[in-house]
Amino acid sequence: MKFFTGRVVTKAILLFSCLLLLLASVCFATDYDQLFTDANDAMAQGDLPAAITLLKKVEFEKGDESGAFVRSRMQIARLQFALKDMEKASSAAKEVLAVYPDNSEALNFLASVKQEQTPRYQVFVQDCLRFLPQLLKGAVMTITLVVCIILISPVGGLLIALGRISTFKPVSSICWFFIWLFRGTPLLLQLFFIYYGLPSMGITFKPFTAAILGLGLNYSAYLGEIIRGGIQSIEHGQMEAAKAIGMSYWQAMRRVIIPQTYKRLMPPIGNEFIALIKDTALVSTIAMVELMRSADQMFNAYFNVTALILAALIYLLFTTIFTFVFEKIEVRAGIYENR
Amino acid sequence: MKTANQPLLSLKGITKHFGSLTAVNGVDLDVCPGEIVVIIGPSGSGKSTLLRSINFLEEIEEGTIVFEGEEIGYVTNKHGRRHLDAPHKICALRSEIGMVFQHFNLFPHMTVLGNVMEGPLTVQKKSLEEARHIALDMLAKVGLSDKRDVYPATLSGGQKQRVAIARALAMRPKLMLFDEPTSALDPELIGEVFDTIRDLGKEGMTMIIVTHQMGFAKEMADRVIFMEKGSFVAQGTPEDFFANQMEHERIKSFLNRIL
Repeated sequence: MKFFTGRVVTKAILLFSCLLLLLASVCFATDYDQLFTDANDAMAQGDLPAAITLLKKVEFEKGDESGAFVRSRMQIARLQFALKDMEKASSAAKEVLAVYPDNSEALNFLASVKQEQTPRYQVFVQDCLRFLPQLLKGAVMTITLVVCIILISPVGGLLIALGRISTFKPVSSICWFFIWLFRGTPLLLQLFFIYYGLPSMGITFKPFTAAILGLGLNYSAYLGEIIRGGIQSIEHGQMEAAKAIGMSYWQAMRRVIIPQTYKRLMPPIGNEFIALIKDTALVSTIAMVELMRSADQMFNAYFNVTALILAALIYLLFTTIFTFVFEKIEVRAGIYENR
Repeated sequence: MKTANQPLLSLKGITKHFGSLTAVNGVDLDVCPGEIVVIIGPSGSGKSTLLRSINFLEEIEEGTIVFEGEEIGYVTNKHGRRHLDAPHKICALRSEIGMVFQHFNLFPHMTVLGNVMEGPLTVQKKSLEEARHIALDMLAKVGLSDKRDVYPATLSGGQKQRVAIARALAMRPKLMLFDEPTSALDPELIGEVFDTIRDLGKEGMTMIIVTHQMGFAKEMADRVIFMEKGSFVAQGTPEDFFANQMEHERIKSFLNRIL
């Protein structure tokens, strides 16, 4: 019984003191709350200097238990920042630091003031240096993918093209179906199917293998149609002349027909390969870390648009180099036409 | 079995349809070694088709082709259906019969020398050195040794056709087929091509020539054949043909039109 009464008393005392404290703090802070409200009103009306004057009335009190001082000075700092007065903005933040030397809000603020004061291009260069290593790693992967597909897809395309023009019906039908399937569905879907879909049938690929497979099949189908067009654009007399000196179909293809398609095929194939550079960005969706994915990671980590601009510049650099290289190859391939 | 007077080429009942059109209608023709046969006739009369049939560029439906005493090119399968022989056999036969086309059909991506070397090199699998040697010989024969390193695009029509002749000759054919070899040429270039063909004739090459050049037929041919609607209408030595067959109404109107 005695024990019970003791607890009740303790509880009551505790509750009472809490109430007292609350009451005291409310009484104590009333002026400042009014000040903040007035300052907010002034800000809402766009009168920032008036708001600053109001906020300055908040003074430091021992311990700053309510946090009103820090709050007011940081608010002043931000307002001065908005008014582009970096000097006063910094000194407001420094007032906070004078009392709390490791207040992180004030420290961050001073850092961003400093950044604001450094010239734009310098910030850009700093960002570039910060993002470049990661982006270049991604770019190396992009180029690896592009080179692999450039090596694979013309071979695949040639086989499909020869299959398509074959007079042996089953072969030409299979090749027709292949082109129909891979040209008629989105590359993104094909990549998803290979990487996420096939495992459910017990076939699992590493991201790189899946990327090469998806891009390789898709680009082989496209190049197949381009190469077929090239072969069929060579006039019929060439095949007849080759046959007339005793060449077999395959000898004629290899020695006479296909070499003549090179020049005609360069522009459309160059086009495809430039599209390929950009299409590799799609494999970022199947856990491949290439240029697009790296840029996306940087952008999300720092919320800094410089990462995206840099990635765009790297893509442009690649496509520009390709354009020039293919123009050169085209001229070389057609050397017999104008000499 | 080869005998002295046996024809080099013997065609019997050659028939070829394109859909409902009869291009060649049961043609018989014997060509002796060294003989020069010139076939004339209006366009669409089946001259080219006949020539192309001999080289298996057209598959004929009926008739036999006998070359050096052997029936060639077609086999009958167990269902009794006739079809072209295996591709490698056809290729071997073609390499013994040279053909020159109206539009030259030179390989534009190869130099002149490359064009002429291609047959010996790729088909006959001769060494580079040997093929080159043969090709240079043939180019000398058609008088174009100085053009060996240029691409066909820079040649005149007449030069192109002479290269095409050299390309065919490089295979050492036993029979040469000329399908309107001068029809795509400017008149002033026709002469050089005929000079080349004439030289071949003097060397004893057996030739079948489809042409519209009557002067050439008169001068060169051992035999002139007039073809119309897929059949041989008349044939004879040039003297006989141009003297007597002129009475033939169809031939007269044809010759009047083109002369």
